[in-house]
Amino acid sequence: MKIYLALTVASLKMYFRNKQALFWALFFPLLIMIIFGLMNFDKYSSPNVGIYDGADNEASRALIQALQGNSEQELLDVEMGTLDEVHHELEFGGSRAVIEIPANYGAPGEFSELKVTYDERFQQERAVVSTILGQVTDAVFKEVAQVPDEYRVENAIGISESFITGQGQGFKAWLIPGVAAMAIMQTGLFTVVFTLVRFKSQGVLRRLKATPIGASHFLAGQLTTKAIVVVLQTYVLVIVGAIVLSVSVGNGRIGAWLDLTILALLGGALFIAIGLAVSGWAKNEETAAPIANIISMPMMFLSGVFFPLSVMPDWLTQWSQYLPLTYLADGMRAITVEGAAITTLGNELIGLGVWIVISFVVATKMFRWE
Amino acid sequence: MTTDIDPVIVARDIHKKYEEITAVNGISFEVHRGEVFGMLGPNGAGKTTTVEILEGMRDADSGDAIINGINVKDDPNAVKAIIGVQLQQNAFFDNLKLSEIVDLYAKLYLATVDPIEVLSRVGLDNRKNSKYAELSGGQKQRLSIAVALVNDPVVLFLDEPTTGLDPQARRQLWELVRKIQKGGATIVLTTHYMEEAEELCDRIAVVENGEIIALDTPDALIDQLLATGFKPEKRIREATLDDVFLNLTGHDLRD
Repeated sequence: MKIYLALTVASLKMYFRNKQALFWALFFPLLIMIIFGLMNFDKYSSPNVGIYDGADNEASRALIQALQGNSEQELLDVEMGTLDEVHHELEFGGSRAVIEIPANYGAPGEFSELKVTYDERFQQERAVVSTILGQVTDAVFKEVAQVPDEYRVENAIGISESFITGQGQGFKAWLIPGVAAMAIMQTGLFTVVFTLVRFKSQGVLRRLKATPIGASHFLAGQLTTKAIVVVLQTYVLVIVGAIVLSVSVGNGRIGAWLDLTILALLGGALFIAIGLAVSGWAKNEETAAPIANIISMPMMFLSGVFFPLSVMPDWLTQWSQYLPLTYLADGMRAITVEGAAITTLGNELIGLGVWIVISFVVATKMFRWE
Repeated sequence: MTTDIDPVIVARDIHKKYEEITAVNGISFEVHRGEVFGMLGPNGAGKTTTVEILEGMRDADSGDAIINGINVKDDPNAVKAIIGVQLQQNAFFDNLKLSEIVDLYAKLYLATVDPIEVLSRVGLDNRKNSKYAELSGGQKQRLSIAVALVNDPVVLFLDEPTTGLDPQARRQLWELVRKIQKGGATIVLTTHYMEEAEELCDRIAVVENGEIIALDTPDALIDQLLATGFKPEKRIREATLDDVFLNLTGHDLRD
């Protein structure tokens, strides 16, 4: 215990005296976060509409297609989902309106009411969606879609509007947890790779082997240090980000900080394990750096750190949704943006867990002292 | 210190092979308590491998290495706890001050030391706030000896401690070795400087191709050679070039 403490304290001292490591762990992610956050990408986004299709018939599909427009004139950016999903998106700023298509939509002779819900904070978007919806519902039965004649009944569609006050805080709030997740990846991967590979190539590890301590002591000290760094770093990034970009964290839920800490530790463990695997494999810093970059670079751009996966083509997202950083970023975002409890993040926790197991197995197979 | 067992080191028929190459081929010797024992031989003769087996850093293929009554292969960590080791290539954590390095290593042995006192034993107390990377070659070697002394070792292993040092630094290191010997430690020293062996060692083992080909006191070894009718090629002079160099540049350390 005493030995473990001594090693942990020493490696913490070493870490905080390493200006370069501090720069990459704190200042660089903060800089990126603030620059991107101040750019206010929200301004340029076209209205996102979540649609729940309760009818799921030819007529409803024709309506949805009509709302999306065609290649000459794109109208609404439509995201399909279950009733819960589309309302969740609206609530937390993923969309600006929800359209519910009732089950009897398109049934001959029946009156069907489209329920539309808006985020009242976005009146401009509301006007756009409302106008398009009005024109399309008028047109659907006259000219746009190939609808069977018997569906063409005037006044068969009603539109009811309601409003909620969403909690979405826009791109800024969305960006902060993503950058914090990226910083965890960088810390886990790079500081582990660089310190261990340097210690190995310089012979520091060999000198430790001449003392009566076991390898496990040394690794435990290193891991504790990184765990402390990862948690501190997450707090600093989220707090400073929230203050500078004036957003709230976890909907003011105090438990969000505990959840965030747990998730940061899980993410830290995952990327440290990947780092250990790389440093076991690489002989020196020259080979370690490119490998670490090859692992981290794609994730930086494919895991939804700077922009949502939904803007990427489907063939890419069907792979990138399984990346380790995607699970971490999604989980942290659910906690800070939506105020979700960690217990509701089944998908993310399983994804992280599987990756942690894979990485530790590979790391133990790969790691060498000399 | 631990109970007195004499001899303090017993090496018994040690063998070690690396794939095709036989590094150590049946080495046996004993080291008495309090002596400076030299291992001499050309590069690749097997000195370092032998020493590393004694230190518990490498496993022997066969044979026994017993330090102070403990067989290394039975309990390598118990052996590591009572020896001090200076490796041929030493490296210490960067971003730590010398005093912090000494303190950390002492804690690895669960020993409590005054880091400044340990540093002063090797003449580095005035550099206590420096980082390892800022030291000169001689200072680095002296730090690694200081670190090897933190657990007050029964046996101190020095592997080519003066390689790459200038004559001033080398002489200062010799002084240090003598001082440590006077303190009661047994020292095992590998070197390929004959002058160093003659200066410091009570007994010398000459290692060649993984075997000990001669083992005696330096004087006895020289006498044995002379007894064969050997005559040195050069006329023996009263001083060496080393002495000339030191006379010209002075004995003071340059770091």
